[in-house]
Amino acid sequence: MNLPRPRSQSPRLKSWPMWMLMGIVTVCLLAIGAGREGGPLTQQERIDGITKRLACPTCDGESVFVSQASAAVNIKNEVARQVAAGQRDDEQIVALIEDRFGGRVLLVPRATGFDSLVWVLPVSVLVCSVAGLAATFRRWRREQGLVPSDDDRALVAQLLAEEPEDHDEVPG
Amino acid sequence: MRDRGIGGSTAFRGRRSSVIATAVGIVVALFFIVLVVSSPEDRESAASPLLGNPAPVVKSTTLDDMQFELSRRRGSWVMFNFFNSTCVPCRQEHPELVAFHEAQAAAGTPTELYSVINDDSDNAVRAFFEANRGDWSKIRDDDGSIAVAFGVAKVPETWIIDPNGYVRMRFIGAVTKNLLDEKLTELQAAFEGM
Repeated sequence: MNLPRPRSQSPRLKSWPMWMLMGIVTVCLLAIGAGREGGPLTQQERIDGITKRLACPTCDGESVFVSQASAAVNIKNEVARQVAAGQRDDEQIVALIEDRFGGRVLLVPRATGFDSLVWVLPVSVLVCSVAGLAATFRRWRREQGLVPSDDDRALVAQLLAEEPEDHDEVPG
Repeated sequence: MRDRGIGGSTAFRGRRSSVIATAVGIVVALFFIVLVVSSPEDRESAASPLLGNPAPVVKSTTLDDMQFELSRRRGSWVMFNFFNSTCVPCRQEHPELVAFHEAQAAAGTPTELYSVINDDSDNAVRAFFEANRGDWSKIRDDDGSIAVAFGVAKVPETWIIDPNGYVRMRFIGAVTKNLLDEKLTELQAAFEGM
């Protein structure tokens, strides 16, 4: 006689509270880390931070911070002057340089206006690609069970009728 | 739903491929047309947020150790040529600037031409002008503040500022005497009609 076996929980179900706890702890730590003030910045730290956000206008992909090109050095000097003057915050200094040299001087494009296409287009392309792939896979699955039309049947019948019957014979 | 069958499906796919290929072809053709139409020889003023606005404050010294302040040049047409003695286009355009300056000097109300020295030493600039002529003032920009104020990244660049101190034109790259004469005449006519 078979006795009923006690219902045992799957190991995956058993561990889900632990995973949830870890998730909550991770989110909390990230929130605390992101919101923590690092204390007041020195002038040099501000200059470095700003110049790391600006692209050298005459180089390919280099920031003003690392570039030694004449235009980059000029911008670095201007940022240093603005920081020393203490009349503008970092965003205003970046905006001032952008106003003079145009949006190409921003290493990270803004998320507004025409520049926002840089952010919107890749996401749009990704979504469209995923949608296209999903549609294609669905169509392929549907086509596996495709019913041949009368024309298709007639074509196959015609080809079978035309086929020579000696295909089983071994040559020679 | 209409049953297209295997043959119908193949025909449909073939038609769709032709449509996609045509669309891609049209887009590529449009890009090509844009490239051909947007000629780099188009010598209208280059873009700048300063155009039509008051020129930035410019205070410096000249190579002759004289004080220079742009605001004190009100009442005159002022032309800034950002320059470096080792830059090839700057050297190529120099005879054109000399010819323009000589023609302006002969005119009743000449345009004031200034070279703004970009990342260059006094001695190199002096030697260049001694060898190649050019009897106009050269403004120092040792800390690059004038270049940044005008948004100049590469030389040569030429800017025209009207007698009210407003920026009217920007040329990126080498200029010619004829181009400067033509644009200056247009600007002066528009200024007098204001």
